[in-house]
Amino acid sequence: MAKNLSGDMQVASANRLSDGAVVFLDDFGQWTRRLDRAALARDKRTAEILLARARAEAASVVDPFLVAVTESGDGVLEPLSLREKIRASGLTFAAIAAEAVRYA
Amino acid sequence: MPDTHFYRYDDYDRALVGERVAQFRDQVRRRLAGELTEEQFKPLRLTNGLYLQLHAYMLRIAIPYGTLSSRQLRQLAAIARKYDRGYGHFTTRQNLQLHWIRLEDAPDAIAMLAEVDMHSIQTSGNCVRNTTADHFAGAAIDEIEDPRVWCEIVRQWSTLHPEFSFLPRKFKIAITGSPNDRAAVRVHDIGLRLWKNACDEVGFEVIVGGGLGRTPMIGKTIREFLPKDELLAYLEATLRVYNRYGRRDNLFKARIKILVHEIGAERMREEVEAEYAAMRDSALKLSPETVEAIARQFAPPVLRPRRTRVPEVEAMKLENRAFALWLKSNVAPHRVPGHAIVTASLKPAGAPPGDASSAQMEGVADIADAWSHGEIRVSHEQNLVLPHVAIESLPEVYRALEKLGFAEANVGKITDIIACPGLDYCALANARSIPVAQRISNHFAELARQHDIGDLKIKISGCINACGHHHVGHIGILGVDKNGVELYQLSLGGDVDFGKTALGTILGPAVESDKVVEAVEAMVATYLGARRPGERFVDTYRRIGAQPFKERVYGNS
Amino acid sequence: MEIPSEQPIDQGPMLVLDNAEDVTRLGDRLAGVKLIVLNFPKFTDGRAYSQARLLRERMGYTGELRAAGQVYIDQIPFMLRCGFDSFASAQKGFAEALAKARTLFSVVYQPTGDGRTTVNQLRLQHRRSAAA
Ligand code: SF4
Repeated sequence: MAKNLSGDMQVASANRLSDGAVVFLDDFGQWTRRLDRAALARDKRTAEILLARARAEAASVVDPFLVAVTESGDGVLEPLSLREKIRASGLTFAAIAAEAVRYA
Repeated sequence: MPDTHFYRYDDYDRALVGERVAQFRDQVRRRLAGELTEEQFKPLRLTNGLYLQLHAYMLRIAIPYGTLSSRQLRQLAAIARKYDRGYGHFTTRQNLQLHWIRLEDAPDAIAMLAEVDMHSIQTSGNCVRNTTADHFAGAAIDEIEDPRVWCEIVRQWSTLHPEFSFLPRKFKIAITGSPNDRAAVRVHDIGLRLWKNACDEVGFEVIVGGGLGRTPMIGKTIREFLPKDELLAYLEATLRVYNRYGRRDNLFKARIKILVHEIGAERMREEVEAEYAAMRDSALKLSPETVEAIARQFAPPVLRPRRTRVPEVEAMKLENRAFALWLKSNVAPHRVPGHAIVTASLKPAGAPPGDASSAQMEGVADIADAWSHGEIRVSHEQNLVLPHVAIESLPEVYRALEKLGFAEANVGKITDIIACPGLDYCALANARSIPVAQRISNHFAELARQHDIGDLKIKISGCINACGHHHVGHIGILGVDKNGVELYQLSLGGDVDFGKTALGTILGPAVESDKVVEAVEAMVATYLGARRPGERFVDTYRRIGAQPFKERVYGNS
Repeated sequence: MEIPSEQPIDQGPMLVLDNAEDVTRLGDRLAGVKLIVLNFPKFTDGRAYSQARLLRERMGYTGELRAAGQVYIDQIPFMLRCGFDSFASAQKGFAEALAKARTLFSVVYQPTGDGRTTVNQLRLQHRRSAAA
């Protein structure tokens, strides 16, 4: 559920069917792990088209949806909502290491 | 390898779990091949415990009645290492969650579970979930009867129940065999409490319609005393009433608690009793042989009374302050003299509550083999329990746990925090839970101070679904989302001790993430300033009310 | 066994029931009925499972019991156990799945009206013959 954050710039995202990994639709209709390769819709109209394209390419992913993003001066995309930030960049704390027997 | 002292699968149980793995393997294959839509597949994967979360699939593994053998715990560690990132999260419902599972691997992971007589069946979905029990069962000093016998009977009856696999909503059952309820039976869809009546017969009090979540409610007793052999008939009657009349028009009103609330406990009782009247003395009635055959498997290990005052323990108490505190908070009396129940704290300072690495799980399994008859329990406070430890072994057990990082003397204290996975993992979350728990844990890390503050349960949920049980925390913390900002609503005065089950009261406006520690500190200071000798935090709160806490947290302005 | 729901019924009187209907109150309406169609408006709405069991086990209905609506392959084992014996499903592969569904699980825990011997009954038999 995308949070009610307004913003006209959107990318299409989903989770990959085979492993659940977060993916974004790129300009060539491929799903990529990298947000920086995501196709960017700059207005509502293009966003609708982007979502339609994502849904057409949904065989290998689960439930595509749009993610509102901002673009910094040098073109780096960042999701607006915290949820999508976490989806794009992972846990916000250090998970315990596999072989750790001690924390800290 | 030590014998197990709880139910072992026979060939029938094994066959069923094996066939379930094969069925799921085929379902996954059909999904990957595009033969099943996500809409069709989702309920199927959910009833096998497989969720799709923010970054990956999550596999929720049932730990029936919270009891594990060392062999099973080692296998869980092996599955986490092979198919996940080498760690797992113990939940408040005696489940283990692996958060980084691939759909393609899920059937293999589940097959590995089946190798040690475990499964993930019905750990999600709108069906009867893993039935939970007192984590001290079979060892507790106050126990009337081992509730796990009945949990196992319910486990078998509920597994792939043909009538109740598409209920209006999920259904959780908990059973306690002690007057001091450690299974929170009043906040479950059905809570069962074993007790002895005036004729010296043991039966169940049946409590229906409790639960936390969006609309927290305390369950109502609809049957004071149910003969034990009629348990399944009564459960089937209750579930049938729920399946037929539970609301399906609104997801948020679909739990049985809403049905009980809307039609009233009395009408619910009448409906269930009428259905039960038609079912009693049916094939559901449990024969004494059936019950005995299962009960025999739960025969506790033969423990001979041992010394209760051990010089080595006394000496170590004097020279090691942390050990002395650990004895106080993490060690509980056992029914056999000279023994104790040890809680391994999965809450070392600053750690994600309830997480354990594969290596740590293996370490606990080794400790259980050496000193606890190969047995481990999972508590709903997200800790692990060694149920049968000789008092004379406590120093060794302590040192071994210390090496694992699980010897923190904080059980029941302010840093023994319950926290759900929250927004870091969970697709439903509003806010993060784990980082908040970590900050509180770090802030209050000093053990002497924790023991001075005394019993104080903090429970954190990342959304209204209340997986972190915030309603029943002495201090409850609920993550909410306000225009994309995480805020935390604080509540006070919740409790789950039997007879005192209480829901917390919201203190005031939600606070920002970086103000949570300060707010908790203010509440603690209020308590410390006002407490009378022997009063716990929650007692003081009950006596003086919310106002002084409010003023301290929000200021007088 | 794949029967499209539109197929005309000529073998006798039939009842098509909404899944909110209390089947224990059907009384005389059941007399002479040869076919009852129970509905799954969504496959996740499981009320008709209870209706089926009540019809079979309490009302003694022995005629054809058909599942209609969202009827999918993976529900078949549950439906069979509750007493359904015909299925209106257009899902691809349904007939093959139906043929295999009875053997998908070799053991069952719950006594229902389907006549299958439960695990507990098998264990009891086993124990008694071992004791004899
Ligand atoms: S309480 Fe909410 S955020 Fe936490 S695990 Fe449950 S659903 Fe997720």
